[in-house]
Amino acid sequence: MSGGGKAGLDPDRKAALEAWLAGQAGARSVAVIDEGRLSGGAISLNLAVTLEIDGGPLSGRHACVLRTGSSSGVSASLGKAEEAAVLRAVFAAGATVPEPLFVGADPAMLGAPFYIMRRAAGTAAGFRMVKSEEPRRELARELGRQLGLIHRVRPGAEGLEFLALPEPTAALQAVADFRRWAGRHPASDPVLAYGLRWLERNAPPAGDLVLCHRDYRTGNYMVEDAVGGDRLTAIIDWEFAGWSDPMEDLGWFCAACWRFGRNDREAGGIADRGDLYAGYEETAGRRVDPKAVAYWEAAACMRWAVIAIQQADRHLSGTEPSLELALTGRMLPEIEMDLLRHLDGVGASL
Amino acid sequence: MINDDPGARDLVAIALRSFREAILPVVPADQRFTALMIANALGTAERELAAGATAEPALAAAVGGLLGEAGDLPALLPRLCAAIDAGRFDAPDRQAALRAVLKEITLARLAVSNPKRLAAEGQGVGR
Repeated sequence: MSGGGKAGLDPDRKAALEAWLAGQAGARSVAVIDEGRLSGGAISLNLAVTLEIDGGPLSGRHACVLRTGSSSGVSASLGKAEEAAVLRAVFAAGATVPEPLFVGADPAMLGAPFYIMRRAAGTAAGFRMVKSEEPRRELARELGRQLGLIHRVRPGAEGLEFLALPEPTAALQAVADFRRWAGRHPASDPVLAYGLRWLERNAPPAGDLVLCHRDYRTGNYMVEDAVGGDRLTAIIDWEFAGWSDPMEDLGWFCAACWRFGRNDREAGGIADRGDLYAGYEETAGRRVDPKAVAYWEAAACMRWAVIAIQQADRHLSGTEPSLELALTGRMLPEIEMDLLRHLDGVGASL
Repeated sequence: MINDDPGARDLVAIALRSFREAILPVVPADQRFTALMIANALGTAERELAAGATAEPALAAAVGGLLGEAGDLPALLPRLCAAIDAGRFDAPDRQAALRAVLKEITLARLAVSNPKRLAAEGQGVGR
């Protein structure tokens, strides 16, 4: 969010983009109206744009988002062209996600790969989402259904060949990733050392592999007010997607660190787990395994802890001085306390 | 080097107070997020300077008790990590004893980084 409000497209790049889009859209011309940066995401740049397409199958005005930014290297985030391929696959599976319209894989045009998707209405802010008198039970159920649809995308799906399969299992791959990303820290921070060891010793055996969003949580879906209650308009921020254990996304959604203070509503601060799980089982074609979800909740705390470490390192290395990144590093104690409380709850082993 | 008065802690404290009283109320809406982050960073720095190493002897005693060793905290923590890696805390009762000490360490860090969360932990609502 540093530098928020700055315009994103200089005139030369805009002209090149418009010419390229006209070719892609089979149109006589395309005008791009730059409506400024959208908030959100310490990694990506999201620009609100309106496309005025003259001619071709998409002729007309389209409210869109142009998403760009280099892959940061943080926690294996996907490049933008890959992210667009994931979005295309889940859109085809029937999930409520913004339709990707154009993918610019060539970094020469805008300085980094980008894609343009339809713009969804509504708001995503987590702290606002959890501020409701009554729990948002139907929303939690719908988010469960959506996750079930997403998890129907399986290895072998067309266009997703670039996503690596976890080895030897989803859980052990995850812990190995955490160890690599945590660098030297677990040698002097005993909470990290304990968490990593616990995750290795309690890893569930190999099971189904599905397309996981890997950041499926309150704050990453958009909702608008509608007659009769909330209307889910989009699941966003797909840059961490990959093949994994389907229970990973449920554990991430329910983890203490993503309840925005509403610990009485364990499903993302909005409702009970029961609502999320019931919706999931409606569409996923598999049962929720609460024991495995509990494992992945511990993994969620660890993943967030190592991401916080990496964000702080981006600041500390001097490559990207940022107050927001620096303060993320100082969130480590609260993330670690969530992990310890969770392990108190599940006992010494599952 | 010679440090003059007022010292770092006092300077950060008065800078934060001035910022909260004089600047924060008139910051435009689009800069408010940044302003709140500045106040948060200064508050954390002030608490870190105030706390110094006062919590360390008690934590070193707790970690030393787990390990059956003596030493100061910066020396003991890497040894605790190595003992965890070596499987010395794998048994359920050892894990429970370990978690109790790890929570003490983490509470001391929360006192600096997030006193609101520390207070919630004290009331048992942090769970």
